[in-house]
Parts: sequence; C-alpha cells; structure tokens
Amino acid sequence: MTSHDVRDMLDLPQEGAARPIKKQKVAAPRPVLKGLAREVQNLSGDNPIAIVPEGSIFKKRRFASRKPAAKWELRPFRNSARSDDSLILRHWRRLDEKRKLPPQPAGENRDSATQTMEGVVGGEEQMEDSGFAKFNVQVELFDYSPEEYESRLRSEDWTKDETDYLMKMVSQFDLRWPIIWDRYEYEPPIPEQAPSEADGNARAIIVAPKTRSMEDLKARYYAVTATMMVIRKPPIKMNSAEFSLHEVMLNFNPEQEKARKIFAENSFLRTKEEAREEESLLLELKRINARSERFSDERRELYARLDAPSSSSHTNNFTSSVGLGQLLQQLMSMDKSKKQRKSIMGGEGISPAGPSGPTQQNPDHRRESSARESISGPSAPNNKKGPPNPAERRQLSKEEEEMYGVSRHERIGTSGPAFRQEKIFKPLLAKSMNQQKIINNVLTELEIPPRLIMPTADVGESYDGLLTSINNLLDCRKVADKLTAEINIARAQKAERERLARESENAGEGGDVGAGAETVVGTGGKGNSGAPGSVNGTTTTTTTGPGPTNSEPRNEEKAGSPTASVKGVAHKRSASVMSAVSDKSAKRQKK
Amino acid sequence: MASQPMNSSMPPNDTYGGDEIQAIILDAGYSSVRAGFAGEDTPKSFFSSSYGVTGNRTIFSDEDIHNPLLPELEIRNPMSKEGIVEDWDAATQLWEHAITSRLIRTKQGDPRKNGLNDVGGKDGVDVDMDAPDEEEKPLEEHPLLITETAWNTSKNREKAIEIAMENWGVPAFWLARNSVMASFAAGKATALVIDLGASTASVICIHDGLILKKSVQKSPLAGNWVSSQIRSLFGSVDPKVEVTPHFMISSKTPVDAGAPAQATYQKFENKITDSFRASEEERVLTEFKESVVQVYPGPGRLHYPHPVNGILNLENVKMSPGRVFEFPDGSNQMWGVDRMRIVEGLFDEKYALPTSEPPITKAQTIPEMVRASVSAVDVDLRPALLANIVVTGGTTLLQGFTDRLNWEISSLFPSARIKITAAGLTSERRFGSWVGGSILGSLGTFHQMWISRKEYEEFGASVVEKRCK
Ligand SMILES: Nc1ncnc2c1ncn2[C@@H]1O[C@H](COP(=O)(O)OP(=O)(O)OP(=O)(O)O)[C@@H](O)[C@H]1O
Ligand SMILES: [Mg+2]
Repeated sequence: MTSHDVRDMLDLPQEGAARPIKKQKVAAPRPVLKGLAREVQNLSGDNPIAIVPEGSIFKKRRFASRKPAAKWELRPFRNSARSDDSLILRHWRRLDEKRKLPPQPAGENRDSATQTMEGVVGGEEQMEDSGFAKFNVQVELFDYSPEEYESRLRSEDWTKDETDYLMKMVSQFDLRWPIIWDRYEYEPPIPEQAPSEADGNARAIIVAPKTRSMEDLKARYYAVTATMMVIRKPPIKMNSAEFSLHEVMLNFNPEQEKARKIFAENSFLRTKEEAREEESLLLELKRINARSERFSDERRELYARLDAPSSSSHTNNFTSSVGLGQLLQQLMSMDKSKKQRKSIMGGEGISPAGPSGPTQQNPDHRRESSARESISGPSAPNNKKGPPNPAERRQLSKEEEEMYGVSRHERIGTSGPAFRQEKIFKPLLAKSMNQQKIINNVLTELEIPPRLIMPTADVGESYDGLLTSINNLLDCRKVADKLTAEINIARAQKAERERLARESENAGEGGDVGAGAETVVGTGGKGNSGAPGSVNGTTTTTTTGPGPTNSEPRNEEKAGSPTASVKGVAHKRSASVMSAVSDKSAKRQKK
Repeated sequence: MASQPMNSSMPPNDTYGGDEIQAIILDAGYSSVRAGFAGEDTPKSFFSSSYGVTGNRTIFSDEDIHNPLLPELEIRNPMSKEGIVEDWDAATQLWEHAITSRLIRTKQGDPRKNGLNDVGGKDGVDVDMDAPDEEEKPLEEHPLLITETAWNTSKNREKAIEIAMENWGVPAFWLARNSVMASFAAGKATALVIDLGASTASVICIHDGLILKKSVQKSPLAGNWVSSQIRSLFGSVDPKVEVTPHFMISSKTPVDAGAPAQATYQKFENKITDSFRASEEERVLTEFKESVVQVYPGPGRLHYPHPVNGILNLENVKMSPGRVFEFPDGSNQMWGVDRMRIVEGLFDEKYALPTSEPPITKAQTIPEMVRASVSAVDVDLRPALLANIVVTGGTTLLQGFTDRLNWEISSLFPSARIKITAAGLTSERRFGSWVGGSILGSLGTFHQMWISRKEYEEFGASVVEKRCK
C-alpha cells in the first residue's frame, strides 16, 4: 500500500495538488526512522498526513494577568427620539467605576427589579440617552396656513381636506410613494346635515372617493411643495440642491410618468416568446447598424485614399534627404489624424504614387509604438491627437442663469462692452469736420469740455440732448441763411427793377445814379439790422475768429457783404439762445 | 486572548446596531407558538398551538396533550382556519405558558446575588428566588413583540395589546407583521414573501419594511390542506391506507411492502375523542410529508401534456424510484408518482385531489397568488420584488418546492430576474418570522418605535392601529 492508495481512499487530491504550506514542512530534513515508524512514514509518502499537530500552537492561558471579572449592570436609559418620555428600557452595560452605586447594605432582601427601579427614580436626571436616538430623522414637510392654501394652492381636483390627508400620509410614510399609494384611502368627510331627515340625502350626496393613481398623488404633492418652497424662499436664494429639487418638482409630468409606467408594464408582462423575439430583433438591428457603419467607414476610407496628395509634380522636392524628412513628417501627421484608418485592400494596395519608402515604414513604426504603449500599460498617455480641446467656456443653462440672476442686454450683445464716452462721441464723429468744428465752438462757448468729466448715464443723456439741440440750431441757421439770402436777392432784384423803372421815368437825371444807389444800400443795411456798426463788428469777429466756416466765404461770394452781416446777427442770437439751453446742462454736468 | 484585547464595555453599536433590552418575541401560528428573547437566533420556547381540555381542566403542556390516558381529552386550537386568534382566553393562557415556562419562569435575580457569580461563597445571603410576588405581572420587565398575519382584524390587534398591557404588564409593546419579519430574517426590507404555514398560504409584497396592503394574497393551500390531500390519496389507493397513530400501537412486527399490518393494538378504558385522534394522526401525516411527499420540481408541470426531451413529465417520474414509508402499525409501501400528485394542486388546481372541502380555485394556487400580488403593486417596484423572493413557513420545506416555485414564477414573468431566498436550515425556515422579530427587537433604532405603557394608557388600545402600520 502506497501513499497513492491512501490518498485514493481518503479522496484526497493527488500529490501534485498538495498545498504549498505542507510543502514547506516537507522541506525540513526528516529524521531517519526505524522499524514501525518507518513503515508508517512510507505509508504517508512525501507528504505526511499530519494527524497530531506538532507542538501546541495555542498559547497557555495567562493566569497571572487575570483580573477580577468585569461587573455589569442592567442600566436604564431612555430614547430622546421617542415622542413620550416615559419609556425607560434597560440594557446591560459594564459597571462604570465612577457611577458605581454605593454597595447595598448586607441582608437587604430586595430583588433586582425594585432596586433598579428605585435607582431609576432617584437618578432620573443623569439617565443616559440611547445612542440610537440620533438616527431618528424625519421628512421635512412644508405646512401651509389656510390662507396660503386659499391664495396659492387651490385646485379643482383636490379639496383642502384631501390635500391635508395626502400631506399627512406623506409624512407618515416618509415619502415612500408605493406605500403611500397602497395605503391611500381618503374618504371625503360626510357633509353635516340635519341628522334625521336628511339622512337619505346625505348618502346620495356622498361622492364615491376618487381612485388616485400614484402619479396623481405625486403631482399634487409636488405642486404643493414647489409652491410652498417658493413662498418660503424665492428661487434666487435657494442653494443648488434646493433649486434643483424645486425644478424637479415643478417639472413633474404625471402624464409622461403614466405613459412610462404603461410602457414598463407592457415590457414587464412580455411572454418568453415576445421577449426572445424582441431580443433577436434588437440583435438584428444592431448587426445591420454595424454593417452599414462599417460600409460607410470603408467608403470614407476609400475616398480618403483617393485624394492622396498628388505627388507627380514635385518629385524633385523629395530627392534630397531634407525633402524626404519633411514628407515623412507630413505623412505621419496625416496618419495620426486618421488614426482609426483601416486597410481595406491589403494595406499597401493603393499607396500613393510618391516615394514608397517612408510610407511602407510607417505601419511598422506604428506597430512598434503601439506595442510599446501596450507594454507600458493602459495608464500611459495614449492621446496622440494633440492637446485636449481648450476648456470651453461653460455655457450656463437657462435654469442656472435664473438661479444666478444673470440678465442679458441686447445692446451689449453684438459688439461687446463699450465706454459710454464712445457712445456719446459716436453721433459727433458721424458729422463732417466743419460741423464738428462748429459744435466744438458752441461747446467751448458754453464752457463744456469736449470730453465729459463724469459721463454717467444721466449726464450722457443731457449731453445728448444738448448735442441734438445744437444740431437743430445749426439746421435752423442753415435754413435761415438760405431764406435771408433769397430775400436779399429778391430785394436786390426789386430795387434793381425799381431803379430801372425810375431810370426809365427820369431818363434825364442820369447824374444821380451813383448817389441813389448808395442810399439804397444804406437803407437796406439799416432795415436789416438797425445797427450797421454792430454788424460790422460781428463780421470781423467771424472772419478773424478761430473757426470761420467754409460756407461763409461761399455765402459772401454769392450774396456779398449784406448776407455776411446777417449771418453775424444770426450767430449772435443763436449763441444767446444756446447759453440759455446749456445753462441747464452745465448745471447738470456739475452735479 | 491577551494579544487581542476586547473592549466589552460597549457593544459594537456601529457595526450591527444592536442594543438588547431583553425584549420577548412571540410568534404564534396555527401549528405552533414560538417565543424567545430578542437577539437570539432560535426561539427558546417552542410549543404546539394545540391545547387539551379534559373535563373542566385545560392543559397547556407539550407532553400532556399527547397523553391518551387523560379522560376524554379534547384537543383544541385557539387559532382560526385563517391563522388568527379565535379564542382569546385560551390563546392568552397558551402564550403565557409558552413564555413563562421556558423563558422567565424564575424571576431574574440580581446577578450579584443570584449565586451564579459568587466567588467562593463570600456572599452568604440566601436570596429567596422562588417567591414570586403575587401582585406582579409576568412580563413587567420585558418589552413584548407579537407577530400577526397581514389580515389580522383590528379588533384582534387591540385585544393583543390589551392582554399584553393589562394581563402581562409589559412596559412596551409592538405588533409586527409576520411576513415583514420573515423578510427581515432574510435580511431584506423589500421583498415578496411567500409563506406556507399550516393554516394559510400567503403571498405579500413588502416595501421598506411595510406590507403593501393591496398585494396581500392568501389561500388555504398550506400544511393542513396538504394533509387533507394525503388523506384523500390514502382513501383512493387500493388497498386503502388507514392511518393508525402511534399511541394505538402496543407492538408491531415487520411486514413486506404492501402486506397488511401485523400489530397489536392498545386498549383504552377512557374514550378517545375524535379531536385527539385527529391531532395524533396529523403527527403521522407530518412525518409522511417530511419524508415522502415531494413537489415535482419542474421544468414544466407534472401533468404537462407534451413530451419534454421525448418523454412526458409524468412518465419520467413514474420511471424514477419511489419512496418507502412505514406507518406506525408496521405496514409499509412504496410511494411512486403519487407522492408528487399530492402537492401538485399547490400549483395546478386541476390536479388537486378531491376532498370533502369545496374544490380549490385557480386563484388560490401559489403562482396565481404571486401574479395577483405582484400586479397589485407599482410597476417600478416589481423587478426589485421578484429579485427578492423570500420563502418561509414549514410547508415550504416540502422537497422540491423552491425549484418548482422558481420555475413557476420564471414562466409567469419571463423577462424579469427571479431570485428566491430560502433559508437552508429547517429551523430558520420554520421560524422565519420569529427570527425577524428577534432581529428587529434587538435593534437600537427600534427603541423609539415601541408603544410604551404610557402611550397605551393615554390613547387606549386603538393606539396599535395608529402606530403599527
Ligand atoms: N419538513 C416538512 N415538510 C413538509 N411540511 C412540513 C415540514 N415541517 C413542517 N411542515 C408543515 O408545516 C406546517 C407548520 O408550518 P409553520 O410552523 O410555518 O406554520 P404556522 O406558522 O404555525 O402556521 P400559520 O402560518 O398557518 O399560522 C405544518 O402543517 C407542518 O405539517
Ligand atoms: Mg406562520
């Protein structure tokens, strides 16, 4: 009988499967045994079957370190999570040295119950609380006052009574909807009537309680809670968790949920055959999709190969090693950009007509590098597609915008932010140089700096107003100039006609012509301004002034000096008007 | 042990949340009453639910109710055919007996003085332990948790708290659904519990530790019904099998299979009542159930009319070896396919054997109850329920039951993932709801749930309806 047989009998695994721990033991040199002992050893073979453990592996008990047995007491405690304070339960706790009660006088014949109960009565103050009380958490519900209900929560489908009932159920069952729905048994209160006679009527009036689906219950609860949330805390002030909760509740769609459940139910109740059929159909669909994808992939690949760089024209470029190096670089980068490129027709079938050396090396190179990658393990960066996309600016969703109070303005939208200053100067810049000059003159006259000191919105507005009135004035002056010029011409023509008529009348008095003409001019001048001297004065100022306009000389050319004088007057007047206008704006600006 | 210091001053609250307060768990069924301390893994006290009445004496004792010598011993059961208490007087006494006889008969003494912890008898005081205070109520120190069926009436529930508070003086009380407790015993808060006890079979969906009332399904297809099927079979085979209980046999000689019994019978001076005999016969039948009866494990049903793998299921079973059962009188017999036909009605009402009771309906079979129960809950819950099916109750110990159940439910819901959890240990399967109660009663977080005496005094018995959902 060999060890093999023993193993066979004992159903032990064959020698090869010996456990490593045992092998270790075998490694130790074995004493040479004699007689029966050797026979026994032969029976067991190389791997002795240990029946008696060698030496004790158990530690001897250390009697020396034995301490007196720990004392335990049945300690009363209460649980603060309970609604009533009266329940005092007791559990075994190790007797705490400090709290230890004074030893009972010997011979006292009381049993433990009365003893501990008295302890309870005496030491009620310091009685410990259950460590589990803290796990008592309750759902936080919004409660509403009757007024709030009337103003915000009314519903056609729900009475206040039933809403109350729903809220009570929700808190009772901690928002576990399947249970709430399962236990929902609302009975509308029986309307109070005259007890005896109306009894029959009352029964007739009672509406059969509506059967509510879980979605109905949820929809109502969410509607109430979302409304109450907003009443208690406007959405701007909610933190993100509250806000998203609010959103979820607001967007609860019972119809969709119902449809989903019907769908789920149908798929749940599929028979085996239907399930199998659906599965096979899905598989088929997947296969078709995969095939068409592969087909379009191959087609794309084919196109990509067809429009390979045309290399026939510039072969000279690649004759030098530098050129070849460049080409290699170029091809490599192309290759990387199309990483998942697969060979369709045995790889090099349609290689571009260019020098084939580098292209042929390429696959080898790739394989090598991929092999290296796989050796270095999956953690190695495998991203050869260049740097990751720069982090895109996070687009705020509509809800977030609302939450963060972001508002958008159309005027900024297009060209981005700008200085008000620029906005103010825009209308100015659109004008011609001449007009700018005039306007600047007016402004300097009004002692308003061309660049506003403090361009607040208000100031800018009044400045705007000022500019438009300056513009209006300028326009008015232009019209006035034109009209006076026309009047003057008409007058001159009239005078000429009269003179001619007079001449024709007094054909004899030819010598007076010069003097007559002079007086006419003189009276004309007087009639226009009434103060010839002042007219002259203004004319000089305009001509010598810092900004003589272009139009003025032209006017002078056309209409001669009288117009010029008129203009001077107009200018003067306009200036006075303007000072009246700009007084206000100047004051405002000082503000 | 020195190398591994154990801090025993605090139980490891954070790991399992236990905090024992010596609560007593009482789980009373139609066939037996289980009682024990919370936190233990089996009930210390296990009693038959039956009690005896002889003359005007009532007997609550596991030995005496099997004693044929007691004159005109009637065997009664306080439970109704639905597994709920019918006779409260008897139930109260029976339960009290179950608790006091095995759990707290001697009042617990102070460990410092009860002699157990004495070192060398330094403490010479002799504590009088066996003098129970007459005024004292038996359970004044122990919170009590009683299990109940899902269809218990609210009158019954109020009665339960009344007895616990008034008669037994418990400091705290709780009523727990036995199906929920069974799911707790399997470590699940959400489960589909299939419980086949003695009187009733039930299928109930549990969500988060609460039963879903709409899902409660029950039927009489449980242990007692199986017994009646066995009787029906015994009556229909040729020759008829007469069940002779053990107490009637004074001696027997071995006989060949199928041969008539050769035994001498006991003679009794006193009258043996029918109920006593039935109760004794039931013991034989239970033995038969345990050792012979077998559920056809599937796939398919026993009477599936089309051949599977070229052979009808029924033929296949007929070819397999049967089982021999020896009755108390020594007669023995090989039980072939019949041992499966007995319980086929649990799944297939068409093949239930005829009994004196009205025939069972399709809706009463286990698969149909599962279907009805699952359809009564929200769709979103169903996958979770079917993946957590808990099987409990003594009758589920029938061989092949879980295999067959698995096949039946899988064919009801082909696209769902089915997982059946059935305790491997016989005791755990039979005491499922007690074990769950034991777990619940020892949880620290459960302390806040108990209905305290003060609450009972304040709100009356109806507090149980409000609190124990
Ligand atoms: N191994 C077994 N095989 C078959 N049936 C068994 C087995 N052991 C017990 N039974 C049966 O199980 C039933 C008892 O089960 P259980 O203890 O779960 O019932 P119960 O809880 O007392 O009753 P109920 O739940 O109806 O109130 C009895 O009918 C008994 O015959
Ligand atoms: Mg039971």
